Amino acid sequence: MRATNQRVRLAGLGACLLMIIVFAQLNYLQIFHANALDNNPLNTRNILEQYAQPRGAIISADGVTLAQSVLSKDQYKYQRQYPEGALFGQITGYFSFTYGTDGLEDEYNSVLTKTSAPVLPTDLKQIRNFFTNQPAPDNMNVTALTSLQQLAARELAGRDGAVVAIDPKTGAVLAMYSNPSYDPSPLASHDQTVEQEAWKALDANPGRPLLAAAYRQRFFPGSTFKVITAAAVYDHQPALASRYFPYSTGLVLPDTAGQVMHNFAGEACGGTMTQLFTVSCDTGFAQLGLDVGGTNLAAEAKQWGWGTTTPLDLPGVAQSSFPPASTFTRNGGALAKSAIGQESVQAVPLTLALDAAGVANRGVIMTPHLLESVTGSQGQTVMTYTPKPWLTATSPATASKLTQLMVSVVNSPDGTGVEARIPGIEVAGKTGTAQTGGPDIETWFIAFAPVAHPAIAVAVLVENQPPADEYQGGTVAAPIAKAMIESYLEMKGKSAP
Amino acid sequence: MNTQRWQRPARRRAEFGMTLMVLLLTGCLYVLSNLGRAGALPADIVPFLVLVFALMLVAHLSLRHLAPQADPVLLPLAALLNGTGYVFIARLDNTEASAQATWTAIGVVAFVTTLALFPRAANLERYRYSIALAGIILLLLPLAPHIGEDINGARLWVHLGPLNFQPEEFAKIALAVFFSSVLAERADLLATGTRRIGRWLVLEPRYLAPLIAAWALSLLVLLAENDLGSSFLFFTLFVGLLWVATGRWAYLVLGTGLFTVGAVFALDVIHHAQTRVQAWLDPWAHFATSGYQIIEGWFALAAGGLWGVGPGQGNPQVIPESSTDFIFASIGEEIGLVGVTALLIAYLLMMGSGLRVAVRSQRSFSKLLATGLSLLLVVQVFVVVGGITRLIPITGITLPFVSYGGSSLVSNYMLLAILLRISDDNANEQALAGSRPAGLTAAAGEADRFAATAVIEVVGQ
Repeated sequence: MRATNQRVRLAGLGACLLMIIVFAQLNYLQIFHANALDNNPLNTRNILEQYAQPRGAIISADGVTLAQSVLSKDQYKYQRQYPEGALFGQITGYFSFTYGTDGLEDEYNSVLTKTSAPVLPTDLKQIRNFFTNQPAPDNMNVTALTSLQQLAARELAGRDGAVVAIDPKTGAVLAMYSNPSYDPSPLASHDQTVEQEAWKALDANPGRPLLAAAYRQRFFPGSTFKVITAAAVYDHQPALASRYFPYSTGLVLPDTAGQVMHNFAGEACGGTMTQLFTVSCDTGFAQLGLDVGGTNLAAEAKQWGWGTTTPLDLPGVAQSSFPPASTFTRNGGALAKSAIGQESVQAVPLTLALDAAGVANRGVIMTPHLLESVTGSQGQTVMTYTPKPWLTATSPATASKLTQLMVSVVNSPDGTGVEARIPGIEVAGKTGTAQTGGPDIETWFIAFAPVAHPAIAVAVLVENQPPADEYQGGTVAAPIAKAMIESYLEMKGKSAP
Repeated sequence: MNTQRWQRPARRRAEFGMTLMVLLLTGCLYVLSNLGRAGALPADIVPFLVLVFALMLVAHLSLRHLAPQADPVLLPLAALLNGTGYVFIARLDNTEASAQATWTAIGVVAFVTTLALFPRAANLERYRYSIALAGIILLLLPLAPHIGEDINGARLWVHLGPLNFQPEEFAKIALAVFFSSVLAERADLLATGTRRIGRWLVLEPRYLAPLIAAWALSLLVLLAENDLGSSFLFFTLFVGLLWVATGRWAYLVLGTGLFTVGAVFALDVIHHAQTRVQAWLDPWAHFATSGYQIIEGWFALAAGGLWGVGPGQGNPQVIPESSTDFIFASIGEEIGLVGVTALLIAYLLMMGSGLRVAVRSQRSFSKLLATGLSLLLVVQVFVVVGGITRLIPITGITLPFVSYGGSSLVSNYMLLAILLRISDDNANEQALAGSRPAGLTAAAGEADRFAATAVIEVVGQ
């Protein structure tokens, strides 16, 4: 018995030895191989990890969730959702397995993946944070309003174009919608086929939905550029403002072989700058441009943000462009056309909205921004955006004179922007109707209101309009701007004490 | 007798206390796992705790009545392993979790039934040929047409109506019983040669015949079923018991030699075995095929590191067979090296308790059986974890009490019942042998040499 017991113990020792070998091997794996295994390209855990983390929510100024991470049943743990779909697609961007990130998802990736300590658990869900390093990421609140965004989409009614609304005092983007937009949800799908199909469809769309018209595409600004030309006059040749330009139907362009510029529909127009501006007289403003000079005009455009990338907090913002002064040497025709927003002047709708905001804000253009604040997972404020000026485009005096011009556009009986009138609210605006070289035209309206205490500046672009009288900036785009202003001021009036 | 009366409730009280601790541990792990995975308390936490507690209570109460003096450590350890396994199965697959819960209940029923059917371990010995026959039939079942099925290249499964099971899990217990009884009876005959061949004294073949027959048959069947892991397990059991019974090192040497020959032969014949060995030698070269599982297992263990990524927060679902053959890697990912080491220690403690039962036993049969069953547990763990950590080729057997799988769970509960039955016998026999407190103390002192006994005794008091 004793001998057998001895052997039982020996067998036990042998079994212990087996366990020790296993234990040693496990340690060996952890110490010598774990690092290489973790970083092995065949290891899908790195990707899974990234997708296994929740991202913070993106929330609109009126409290609507624009993007959120919800638990998914598949191996990626969290599914990124975009409840508002295409309405905010070009703002939120996407968080895609295959195609990376875009929009706010890209710009504020670090915010949306960061957990601001300390987090004290307030409910059971958060207890796990104590036991793990599972992040409870911060949420970001944006300045854009769902209601305004919806209104913009409704007003565009499926037509290609863009609506940008900005708070002139802070630079806060209140709405920024373009058609065609896209729904980021399928791009964030965990099913690669769904992702790829969606991407292919977006790629094939001639309207290029991934290049938001509002901030990633350029258009001829047409007559809206006359605001800049007028500013150049006030800033560089104020005497021109009171000069009288005789009525005319055409302007022979200098440095060309007798090329003649005609007014829209062959009308005759003339008068002082205020009159020229009110009726949007092309021949008059072309002459003003020639008189103020290419150098002054190019300098003025630069001051208003043309040729500079707008520091909006989104990736891939396009630059508006105005040709350099040197191109106008011995090329008066180009200068004349540039002064009325044709030739090679190119505008991003966002820039025009900011320029209107600059006029409204006494010549100072505030840095446009979508970020309003960052809140921790428990609602505590982590940071709040502080408005900062971007450009001093002009003097308060010039801004006030420009305001008068723009008010005249809306208020004068012969103004092109009469459709933007709002009873009880003074609106300043400027229409634009631009030839594109093709059969269709682009219609614009930029505006701000109320004139005394501007609260909203808007730029509206409606593309691909037939070249007829009833399809002008004043008739197509102005009503949209009016609706935006009205709705916003009504909302603001309600919320104000 | 005074000692006995005092000892009787104490052992069960200790068991009950440890059972409560296991309940607490398992409950916490379950909650954490759900918090980690879903960020919410498990909806079924109350039914879960009630069920776990009820099952443990049934097992515990049945011990109070059927084997009051049995070892107090084994049942809580089994419950801990079973509970931990369940938490990870539930985290991986809901359907499997409910099946596993049902199997646990059936396992506890089998546990109680085994204790009730065999009031003494000697009863097992009496039916050894019936048990051996049952074991052989069980082993042969998967080969029978219509009811057997190949899964992953091995023919292990049997379908009988609604029941699917792996008979070899039960066969291993039957064979352990048979080996032990034959060896207990003939240990002396097997230890010394009686027939002279030239200069050598050789064993009388007829004494060995039934053993060789059972062993050869089991090996043949296992090779026919391509189940290398179980084959290794049976072989170790056979050779180990032979050595413990006779003390002849020659058996160990001979056994190892035989197994090597068998393994080399198997490699030549069985394609299934070849791919596994290839994957073992160079898994990276076979990443897309046979090496995938082992590499995913490593990725999981590496991701887990020392402390794990946290229950419910890893990605063990990407490992093939993450809830069965590779549940060890799944656990390693989420509770880390520390967690899996705790599991290994739990197995060692089980083995220690089992061997203590063996050492205390006064009867050869019980001693050998307890040794065999205890070794089975640990060797099985070695085969599984050794396969995952690439010490040996992967063989695809289950981690006792932890892996998803009804046959494994039920058979292991039966194994546990037999160990506890022997343990209870020991105490009764010592009591019958006369009131010799000195002897008892000596026996206890001897047992203390095995791991962690002291700690557990303290808990008991």
